[in-house]
This record gives sequence, C-alpha cells and structure tokens, in this order.
Amino acid sequence: MNGWCGRLLTVDLTSGRIAVEALAPELLQTYLGGRGLGVRLLRDSHQLDPFSAALPLIFAVGPLCGTPAPTSARLAVVSRSPLTGTIYDCSAGGRFAWRLKAAGFDALRISGQSRTPVALAITPQGGELLPADRLWGLPVAETVQALSDRGSVAAIGPAGENRVLFANIMMGEGNAVGRGGLGAVMGAKQLKAVVVAGDRRVEVLDRPRFDQARRDIMRLFRASPVIFGDLGIAEYGTPALVDLMAQRRMAPTENFRKTLFARSGQYSGPAIRRAYQPKKDGCYGCPIQCKKSTQDGVPLPEYETISHFGALNGIDDLRSIVNSNTLCNQLGMDTISAAATLAAWGELRGEFLRAEQIAPLLHDIALRRGDGERLAQGSARLAAELGRPQLSMSVKGLELPAYDPRGAYGMALAYCTSNRGGCHLRAYPISHEILRKPVATDRFSLAGKARMIKIAEDSNATIDSLVACKFSFLGASLEEYGELLSATTGIEYGPQLLNEIGERIYLTERFYNWRNGFTAADDRLPERFFTEAGSAGEGIEVPPLDRRRFAEELARYYRIRGLTADGGFADPHYLEHQP
Amino acid sequence: MIGQLGRYFAKLVADGCADAERSAIFAQDDEILGRGCDALRPLGQAVLQRLNTVSLVVAAPPLPLLEVLLGRLPAAATEITPLDTETRTFLHDIPLVRRCEFSVARPQRLVELLGRRKGILVEGVGIMATGSFTVELAYINYSSVYHALFIKVLLDLLLHAAPTEKELELLRPLWAQLSTAIPESVERLPPPAPDRQALLRAIDAAGRRTVELKLVDSFFGNISCRSGRHLYISQTGASLDDLAGCIDLVADDNSSTAGLTASSELIAHRAIYQQTDAATILHGHPKFSVLLSLLCDESDCPVEDCWKDCRRVRSLAGTPVVAGEVGAGGIARQVPPVIAASGTALVYGHGVFAIGREDFVAPLLAMIRLENYCRRDYLKRLQARLPAAARLLPVRAEGSP
Repeated sequence: MNGWCGRLLTVDLTSGRIAVEALAPELLQTYLGGRGLGVRLLRDSHQLDPFSAALPLIFAVGPLCGTPAPTSARLAVVSRSPLTGTIYDCSAGGRFAWRLKAAGFDALRISGQSRTPVALAITPQGGELLPADRLWGLPVAETVQALSDRGSVAAIGPAGENRVLFANIMMGEGNAVGRGGLGAVMGAKQLKAVVVAGDRRVEVLDRPRFDQARRDIMRLFRASPVIFGDLGIAEYGTPALVDLMAQRRMAPTENFRKTLFARSGQYSGPAIRRAYQPKKDGCYGCPIQCKKSTQDGVPLPEYETISHFGALNGIDDLRSIVNSNTLCNQLGMDTISAAATLAAWGELRGEFLRAEQIAPLLHDIALRRGDGERLAQGSARLAAELGRPQLSMSVKGLELPAYDPRGAYGMALAYCTSNRGGCHLRAYPISHEILRKPVATDRFSLAGKARMIKIAEDSNATIDSLVACKFSFLGASLEEYGELLSATTGIEYGPQLLNEIGERIYLTERFYNWRNGFTAADDRLPERFFTEAGSAGEGIEVPPLDRRRFAEELARYYRIRGLTADGGFADPHYLEHQP
Repeated sequence: MIGQLGRYFAKLVADGCADAERSAIFAQDDEILGRGCDALRPLGQAVLQRLNTVSLVVAAPPLPLLEVLLGRLPAAATEITPLDTETRTFLHDIPLVRRCEFSVARPQRLVELLGRRKGILVEGVGIMATGSFTVELAYINYSSVYHALFIKVLLDLLLHAAPTEKELELLRPLWAQLSTAIPESVERLPPPAPDRQALLRAIDAAGRRTVELKLVDSFFGNISCRSGRHLYISQTGASLDDLAGCIDLVADDNSSTAGLTASSELIAHRAIYQQTDAATILHGHPKFSVLLSLLCDESDCPVEDCWKDCRRVRSLAGTPVVAGEVGAGGIARQVPPVIAASGTALVYGHGVFAIGREDFVAPLLAMIRLENYCRRDYLKRLQARLPAAARLLPVRAEGSP
C-alpha cells in the first residue's frame, strides 16, 4: 500500500493503554485521510458530549503527507466542538504532521481522561505517556521548548487547560488547530501535549507521473496572481486582503455594524511590511510561504486576525494587534473567536474596547478570571446571557470571520450551510466572489450559488482529507492533485471521484449534526444582515440581504444536497449505507 | 441561469468556435436547463446529471477540425497534448473518445473522462467541456480546447504529412477566410484622457475591439494603461469585451494591495513600463501569430520544453519571439528587454504583447498587422507543401499568397 501506512495509534488516557491497530486499506482509500478519516473514525462516538472522557480526539494525516506534494505536510484534528456542539475538524500545517506520518501512522485516536496532566510521546514503535505536571500552566512556546528534544510538538496553552470554548491546539511552529475549541477537548483529557518523532520515508509509486503533476501545479501557482503575484500572499501574506476587503467594502467593522474601517491602512499588508520588514515563513514543505514573521521569528497575524482585532473592534494600532495575536498563540486561543467575542462585548456594553484593554482581557479569558469567565464561552453564550443574543455575529455559535456576508452572497449562504458553523473555509466562496478563481462570480447575486457552494463544500472536504492547503486551489485544482494522489498510491483518483468522496464526508458530518439535533433552524445568519445595510460608497451599495431570496436559495441547497426541507435526512439509516 | 446559458451560447457562436445547429450548453441548479440544439439534449443531460459540476458544453466546431485530426492520428490514440502554452498550462492533455465508446444510453466513458479532465474531444460530436462552478467556465474550457485543436491541426498540416485533397476540401472555408485581411478598424478608439472615467472608457473600448476582431481565444488577454505613478490593468480572468468594473488600479510603490486581483501578467506589464517608454500595453492570443511562433528551424537543440526553457530570441516579420511561462514565470523576464524596438513581442505558443506610446491605436494596429502577416504566411507555407496543380484558393485575391 503506497501513500498510507495502514496503522492507527489508539491511546486511552483513562487506563493508560496504548495500542497500534491496523486500518483497512478500503477505509483509507474511501476516506483518504485527514478530515475524512477522522470523521469516519468518529462514527460510533459522534453523539458523545464534547467534554465526555470517552469522546475521541483524532489527529489524522493524508496520503500525500511525507511526499513532495506542494502544501501537503498537514493534518486534520477531528472531534466534537464544545463551542458549537457540531462535529469539528481543523487542518493545520507544520512538521508535526510530517513526523506523525514518518512514525508510520495515518491517525492517532486519543480517548479517556488522565487523572493528572500528561504528554504523549510517539515513536514508530508506539506511544508513551509522560508526566506533565510541570508543564501544566505553561504557555505554548515554553511547552514546545520543553519537549522539543523528543520531536515535533502539538500543545495546548492555559486556555485549553481551562476549557476556554475556543481554545486551540498549537503546533510547534506556530500553526493553529483553531476555531472550534479542540484545545479545550484536549485540556479536558488532561493532555498537555503530543510529541512525535519518526524518520520513515513515504514512497511514491510512479515518480515520473508525480513529478509531472508537481510541475503542473507549480506552473499554476506561478500563473496565479493571488499566490505568486506582485501583490499576492507569497509577498504580503494573507494581510494582502486588508486593502482588497476595504476596497470591496466588506471588512466587518465594529461588530459588523459597518463594512468599512477608514483606518485599515494602518495595518494593511504594506503597512506591516514597513513596520516589521517581515521575513517569509510558512508551513513545512510549502513553496508558497504565505506566513510572515518578524526578524526575530515571531509570527505576524493573518488577515482574519488582523481585521478582527482591528476593524471589528475599531482599533488601528498595529503593535496592539500584533501583540494580541502573539498572546492568543501563547495562551492557545483562537484569534477570530477571541476578537469577535470582544467586539460583541463592546457592542453589548455600548463601548468598544481601547487597544490597551485588550491584552489584560485575553489573559483573563485564558485563565477564566473576572470578565474573562464570561468571555471564555464565546460570543453566542455571552450575548444570550446578557439578554441580547442577536449581537453575537455567529452561526451555530461559531463567530464569523472577516468577510461581511452582505458583500458576498455566496459567502453568506456558505456560513449557514457549513457543518462546523460560521466558517469561511468550508466552501471558501471568497475564492470566486472576490479573488476571481477559478472564475469570477457576481458577489451581489445568489443565482446559482446553492450548487456552487455544494460543489465547493465537497471539493474542500476532499482537500481537507488529502490533506492540502486551500490556498493551493487559488491556482491548481483537484485535477492536478488527483494526479499526485494517483501517482503516489497507484489508484486512479480523478476530480469526479474525489468530489464524490468529499460529498460522502460532508453528508456524514451533516448526518452527525442532524442526529445531535441540528436542523435548518441552525443554518441561520444573525438578524443584522437582513435588516441593516453595510457601508456604501465609491459606487458600491451594500444593502441588507434579501430575506426571501436568501431563504429560497437555502431551500434550493437542501434540494441539491438531497436533504429534507428542514435540512435533515429522509433516511435515518444513512450511515448504514456508507462504507 | 437561463440568461447565462443564452449569453454564452451566443458567444460560442459569435466567436466562430461552435456551429449553432450542432451545439448546446447545459447547466444544473436544482434541475438541468439547456440552450441550443435539441438533438443534443439527451446526451447533455445524461452526462451532466452524472457529474458534480455546474455546466456542460456539447458542441461541434464549424470547421471539421476534429475529423481532420482523427484522420491524422493513429487509431490507438487516446489523447492529444496541446501545443499552445495557455491550454497546456490550464488543461494538460485532452482525451479523445471514439464513436463506438459511448451512446446516450451508455455515457459512462464520457462521464469518466469529463470527471478527470475539463474538456474532451468526441468523435461524431465535437468537443465536450465542463464548468465546475459557472456556465462561463464551461464556455472558457470549450474555447480553450477549440483553440488547442485549431493550433494542433493547422500546425500538423505544416509540419507533418502534407494535406490531402480531402483535408483541403474539408477546410476550404478557412482558406477563403484567411485570404481576407482582418480590417485595421482602430480609428475610433478613444484616447486615454487624464481623467479616470475617460481612461477606463478607453481601456474598455480597446479591449472590446480586440475581442471583436478575434485576436483572442474566448475573451482572454489583458490590457493596461499607465497613469502617473499608477497603472490601470484588467483583472485576472476578466473578459476583454466586458471590462466595466474589472479594472484594477495598481500603485508603483505597492502602497496598497487592492490590486491583488489584477491580471496574472501584472508583473510583465510592470516590467515593460519600467524598461520602455510605453504608455499602454495590449496582450492577446491571435491564432496564427501563436501558430507561427511555434515554428523553429533550430536543429540539434538541447532544449526540450521550448515553450518555457528556450532562451533564444527569434524573429517573425521583425517581431521578436521569446519563450516564457505565464505569470511569475518567464514572460516578465523575456518580453520587456525585446519589446521596445518593434513595439511588439510574440511569446512562444502563447500570444502577442504590443505597446503604445500614447494610446491603444498603435498596439491594436500592430497586433492586427502581425496576425494578418501570419495568416498570409501560413497560407504561403501550406501552399508550398502542395503539388503544383493544387491550389488553396481558386482565385488569387488581394492579400493571398
């Protein structure tokens, strides 16, 4: 079997039992790896409470990890989110994924709950639990440093230990398993860190075919202005989007009350370049290197982080924003949800925070002290508790990222249909509605968007299962990645088959959510977007969304997906028909 | 959706790459819709409903290019490799399906191949191409396959077996068409004025004229105009004949990244402005210029991938011919040093860059004249391969070889 190891490492933290299990080739070939494999491995436990000891936390790599496939040294972490209650996965890059594969594992399944803090050390021979009492309470960097002689590290910070509902798992190089609070799931298990070492090589079955596909992909990257253009993400990182979103008048500002922040130029891509002279950085093995860091190696914020700690909170102080990013990384917290929760709190209080108030509050959230106790629950619970639930700008409890849905109607629809809540990456319609890839679509129209969102959700489920970075697909497509996969494994995977795999993964997630009580009522945008206009100007109108038309397109989406009108499943035995 | 189908069906026909009587375009939203030839509906629906894509074009080129190609390929051939770089970059190889491999009741082979590639050649039908996201994407992919097929067949007639009488007869409408020059109708192009709106109108008009004169494949190409310390440039994937709202302003000093969506050739445009006194740049993909750029008389050359690795500067009617990949590849390095003298540069297998010192008249005129030269030269070269008695054109007309 090429591309996969056929091995799963299972760890029961309650009993301390660690075992190596075989993974059936058919299962791997059908679900690929990463998100797909993780979702499949959750089949028997998807109804467990997110903080239940028995709920597994799954780390899964993909068949391309360990090969020179561009942007593929990644993994997915899958479990159930304590923030949203949905099935949850998040993809992250870094050496950890590569080393897990090099240790000979496709996946790691951790369940149970340790009585005392532990770290899990993995080698090709298996795993070992190490006492981690002395690491408990430490920020992420110190934890990583303490374990780095044993390999690559994934760790939680104080936020995860204290079950902050949007706590991250942080990879050693600064990559985050973010958004849905899987760091809190890890913290509830008293697992401070996982460290992995391995040196096995991943063999590619048909090297000439693989090399040809790789060359094709690199050529497409070079032909993509968003990737390797003068103003692209390889040069400026994702903050290249700051000026573009301002120009398109869809930068969420002051908790989405406006869609333009007049001072966003203070923290744009060029402003960061002037202030920090950043160096190129990025995920292990990635040719794009879209991450930027200071000359001292401190990671600089991504677009969503910078815009939400900036415009969303009405702050233009770049140093403060960079500091907020660094603090979240060290405390192990999601930057989008943290910033959006603070913005919601600002509107709830009637006064947005000043730059100097942010850092102390981030500490309080991570340590659950003072106002931080409330804020640690995320904006939906916070706003509900304070009697104004409509001021949480979230879907299914997940705070919306920095693309205002009134400025991109496909994005609006995709926030609702996302299986993990208000996320831009499930269908990533920004790709065509704003960045014009693979082709431009009318951002102020819903026509045809239901089908487009469905197809993109399927494709992205596949991409998260390969596991590759979505930015690759601003240049390349599943056609080229299918070639890489076919060349690696010797099994033919074209885009159609890959999309069918993605569809199965997506529907499985949707089914899990449905079984956990989610219906069409949860596929709902905050009321503000249907009643308040955005910031018009320079010939661009940003009207509220048309409620009737939006509902019509959502209903069309359900029909295209084969779901019931209530967003559910006509066949309650759906899973039994799946491999 | 219906409006989109009508629009792109009309464009396919107007572009001259699909025969209205034997073509159709389909899309699926929550049901399958179609425009065009009713007889193709069963096949289109049978294929599209099995694919996870939005749209499908099933169309026959007006010229029997596929029939000519099939007659020249070995019976066992299952695909062609495009020679032009645009198609090669975005579409890779193009599968070929024989008549015996499918029917409306048995579309699996078509589905299988369209599930792997964006466009295929189908004996007895023509070209089938999908659009994963939009109706427009199926139109673009169809147009790219047509462009690749056109270049492949016409180059084959020059480089391999001399055309047979039957082939000459099949393509006779083309020879007649080539004997007539593209009109040099550039006189009413508005000049780029200092104010923004007039400048945008000038770019829009020049782009539209470029498409009307068929100096592009589908509607691709790019266009820019210098304005002080900025340049205005068409966005990536923009239709040159519909540029309203699709032109980015890019500052020389990169003080803003709002031009992130600018054409993939922004780097080349910037380098040209830096190294020449150009005020405007026009880039198109005129077919015969692309075709003749592929002809090279070099023997024993060690370069294998000429389209990206060749470093020679050849000349075609006084226009320098260079190689280079799209975007951040070689075009930005190879074109700027050679374009100033003649005002034009031809990129191997790709297209023409032309510059103007004041407006878009000069670059458009240069592109028309180069293409007209290449059309005449192609006929001349093809005629030279025929027996003395065989004539491409029955009557010598002005502008014919």
